[in-house]
Amino acid sequence: MTRTHHLHPFTALTAAVGAAVVTTAAASWPLSAAVAVAAAILAVRGGVAGRVLSAAAVILVPLCLSLLVLHGLFFPEGHTVLAEWGPARVTAEGLEFALELGTRTTACVLVFLLFSFTVSVPDLLSALAARRIPPQFGFVLASTLTLLPAVAGRLDRIRQAQEARGMVVRGGLLSRMGTLRLQMVPLVLALMDDAGSRAQALDARGFGNAGPRTSYRDVADSTAQRRFRAAALVLTAAAVVARLVVSWPAGVTR
Amino acid sequence: MTAATRTALRASIGSFTFHGENRPALGSAALSVTPGALTAVLGGSGSGKSTLGKLLAGWLRAGHSGEFRGSLELDGTRLEFQGAPDDPRLNPAEWSRRVAYVPQDAAAMLSTVRATVAEELAFGLENRATPRAAMLRAVERTAARVGLSGLLDRDPATLSGGELRRLAVGCAVIAEPDILILDEPLASLDGAGAAQIEALIRGLCGAGTGVVLLSQAADRLAGEATHWTVLVGGVVTAEGTPAQLAGSAELERSGVLVPVVGGRGGEPDTGDRETGVLEGGAQKTGAQKDGVAAPGPGAGTHGAVAPVMAGLELNGVSFCYGGDSRRRVGPQPVLVLQNVNLTVRPGEIVAVTGANGTGKSTLLRHFNGLLRPAAGEVRVCGRNITGVPVGTVAASVGLLFQHPRDQLFERTVLRETLFGLRELFGKAGAEGKARAALAAVGLSAAAETVHPAELPSSQQRLLALATVLAREPAVLALDEPTVGLDRTGLEHLGRAVKAAAARGTAVVMVTHDLAYARATAHRILQLDAGNLREI
Repeated sequence: MTRTHHLHPFTALTAAVGAAVVTTAAASWPLSAAVAVAAAILAVRGGVAGRVLSAAAVILVPLCLSLLVLHGLFFPEGHTVLAEWGPARVTAEGLEFALELGTRTTACVLVFLLFSFTVSVPDLLSALAARRIPPQFGFVLASTLTLLPAVAGRLDRIRQAQEARGMVVRGGLLSRMGTLRLQMVPLVLALMDDAGSRAQALDARGFGNAGPRTSYRDVADSTAQRRFRAAALVLTAAAVVARLVVSWPAGVTR
Repeated sequence: MTAATRTALRASIGSFTFHGENRPALGSAALSVTPGALTAVLGGSGSGKSTLGKLLAGWLRAGHSGEFRGSLELDGTRLEFQGAPDDPRLNPAEWSRRVAYVPQDAAAMLSTVRATVAEELAFGLENRATPRAAMLRAVERTAARVGLSGLLDRDPATLSGGELRRLAVGCAVIAEPDILILDEPLASLDGAGAAQIEALIRGLCGAGTGVVLLSQAADRLAGEATHWTVLVGGVVTAEGTPAQLAGSAELERSGVLVPVVGGRGGEPDTGDRETGVLEGGAQKTGAQKDGVAAPGPGAGTHGAVAPVMAGLELNGVSFCYGGDSRRRVGPQPVLVLQNVNLTVRPGEIVAVTGANGTGKSTLLRHFNGLLRPAAGEVRVCGRNITGVPVGTVAASVGLLFQHPRDQLFERTVLRETLFGLRELFGKAGAEGKARAALAAVGLSAAAETVHPAELPSSQQRLLALATVLAREPAVLALDEPTVGLDRTGLEHLGRAVKAAAARGTAVVMVTHDLAYARATAHRILQLDAGNLREI
């Protein structure tokens, strides 16, 4: 946890983007698997393994299953038939392609989840502001990251108030939909009202000002991190170029 | 100080009408603010105080938010508004740097995207490109001024109500405004929290800031003002010194709450604010007028003759918020309730007081099962509610929440009150019960036509009360029912609570307003460190 906080948010971002791009460009399942495992290890060491892995499971399990069904059973270019049921053919090429795509996606998803669960949002905002990125962009980014918990908290309060007035929440889908409908009206009204008064407050505090800004938060950066970022960018660019060079003739002749 | 002799802000309002409305929210009103002086604008709920405050501070802008006719004069520069397109335009950021406003809901002041109290304080300075070194000094200075020096690294989302309000004031004064407008700065604060804000206001006045207090109570703080302006329906009906206006017919008519001044000198546990309608004088509650609520331990008529089944019983209830470290601050989960025993008989009114954050609301949420005890049991009308769904317990327990807005979701006031009533009283009976409850809180006129969201916040609280009363629960639990109510509202509340008790309802009300508790309840309990004790 403390280790990741010493990283400048741009360093972590560069590393994440670099890893994802290189993995995609290399298109080699052992590398993808290695990147995925490395991300998982970092998640464990960062103390966010639970959240990263459960979020990843939600995204990846259905995706990998569908890849397996789609390419494992119906891969038109497959020659080495391992098994056959009517139109469905399990081919070695199909399985390999599914493995390839599956590990690559897994690596990218894990890397980005790791980044988003370990980055300090205030640090990121402050770093963005220092690069003259409009603060409104940072505000939208931060609000998006904080909106979901805020909405969930408010929905919970509304549900409690309604239960206190005799609304019995049962397990059934129809009952749940019915109660959700009742909760939407106060939720939307409350959020709109919040947004209105928040806008006035932000205006009064100079948020709409054009022109330069300063930042109270001091985000630590170092020469080593700057060098790392430069090197990572060069490496990433090189990987993309190499990939283009290698596949170019094949792409033309195909 | 030569500044003390001149006027810093002078507003003359002909009218202000929100876009899309045909009735002006503000009519003829004038206000002058002097540096270093405290000015109070007093008015009942819906009198236009907040609109006036926001207009003066540039939160509501001519042309942008509504049509404004009148003038604003700041430090000798006069701006005239005719409601025409070529009216002067205020830059809200520049104007607010001179004339700052802190809304009633302090949380609305915060950016919500800053991670610590220090960064939230600095937000306005960042936007004005203040050099970092100056910003660090200003944050330190302001934090000391508003008493937040020890909390600079805290996440603003974890602050208590009083701390949050001090932060909002800090965000406003960090830019060193000439004028500071505070909208109900003491609402829902406990005695200690209110005392800190009062001291802060005195300090600001002493340093030359002109402070405008918007309040619906002519309380101790308002009594320190040099000038009062009374607002009724957006129009100034009286102005003068507190001495001139105290006890005047205009103040009486305005619905402003007038506590007895200096009537509690001999009591040791003061420090609590007196916003309640107090003993003596012309403003007794309905309960007192009818001589029912004789304060004192136990309701003499109940229990003594024959053992009556308790309406509500808590036996050895303990509770702590589970180790959710993201939402709770502090190293260990703290036991909020410790082995709490409480018996409330039918017809008895019990008040629970205690400082902000001691777990009063947590206690109430156990009555209908919204929170379940870690140990012990809750009995409603003799039945253990363990495992009974909240919605089912709700037939016997009515709970009024601290934030009525979360409780209202229907299209009209009447439909709101009718929600869930048919299951209890049948189609024929429901409407009668709903209308009777609305009449009891003085909202009959609004029943069919008004949307709950359009009501002023005090009437929203009364409507939420009506929705609870209409269910005629055996146990009535009220969470800070007096907050934001003006005098008329308090009278309705007092009568309704008394009538419910007379019907045999066991009433528990949580309030930080000790004076109101004394005037209304049979027994007063204090929640402190997880324990209830009689006071």
